[in-house]
Amino acid sequence: MTEDTLTRTFRALADPTRRGILSRLRAGDATVGELVSAFDLSQPAISKHLKVLEAAHLIRRTRHAQWRSSAIDPEPLRDAWAWLTPYRALWDARLGRLDAHLADAQKDEPCPTTTST
Amino acid sequence: MSDDDFDLILEREFDAPRAAVYRAFLDPDQLAAWFGPETVHVPLESVDIEASVGGHQRFDMVLNDDPRRRFATDAVFTELVENEVIASEETFDMGDGPVAMRARIEFRDAGPGRTRLTIRQGPHGGMLSGARAGWGSSFTKLDALLAGRDA
Repeated sequence: MTEDTLTRTFRALADPTRRGILSRLRAGDATVGELVSAFDLSQPAISKHLKVLEAAHLIRRTRHAQWRSSAIDPEPLRDAWAWLTPYRALWDARLGRLDAHLADAQKDEPCPTTTST
Repeated sequence: MSDDDFDLILEREFDAPRAAVYRAFLDPDQLAAWFGPETVHVPLESVDIEASVGGHQRFDMVLNDDPRRRFATDAVFTELVENEVIASEETFDMGDGPVAMRARIEFRDAGPGRTRLTIRQGPHGGMLSGARAGWGSSFTKLDALLAGRDA
């Protein structure tokens, strides 16, 4: 995936309302009307957010009869998650070392309030 | 920057009292001993910590394979509550310009002599090229969103 796609994903996710819409769509597809009442926003406002999410491929919009509904598309989220993974791994490794360090420190220093200076 | 900047949230429990875990972050000897991940180390002489609000925490991370490559980290403490909270705004440079991030570390009791650590850090998305300057205050809590909690 190109960095531009990833940048678009993060930009789309940068808005709390759009994150809220995605969270709602995780529970199941929704029409614009359902999202309007769930978020207490105007229909144009919701539609604008849906357009941004659709452009970032975070949702797919389909038409059932006269209702247009939105569904979450997990693929870009997975890519964004994957992009963060090395940073998680770095902290996991680091905290593993802290764990070992603290275990050693406890062994060396039976009284944890004393520090060697 | 706001709390929305935190796109990385980690929790971990340690079999050590809060005071010991808290001190491991602020004591230069201890920080140098554990902070570097496997591929880098933190030279003790590079660690400079002034543990007060407005004080700094500076250190270098040096690549084990190529010691000429040093990455300087410079953080300013924005909140310090002994054995409870360390919050900072940090700037570091991984080779293509300075990146600003915030971190908030919370220490909580998790049973006798045990500590639950929560680390929030971000925005990592600021490191995407071209996005560094302009992302403003709002950012994804991707961890929370993907974990199914309220984002």
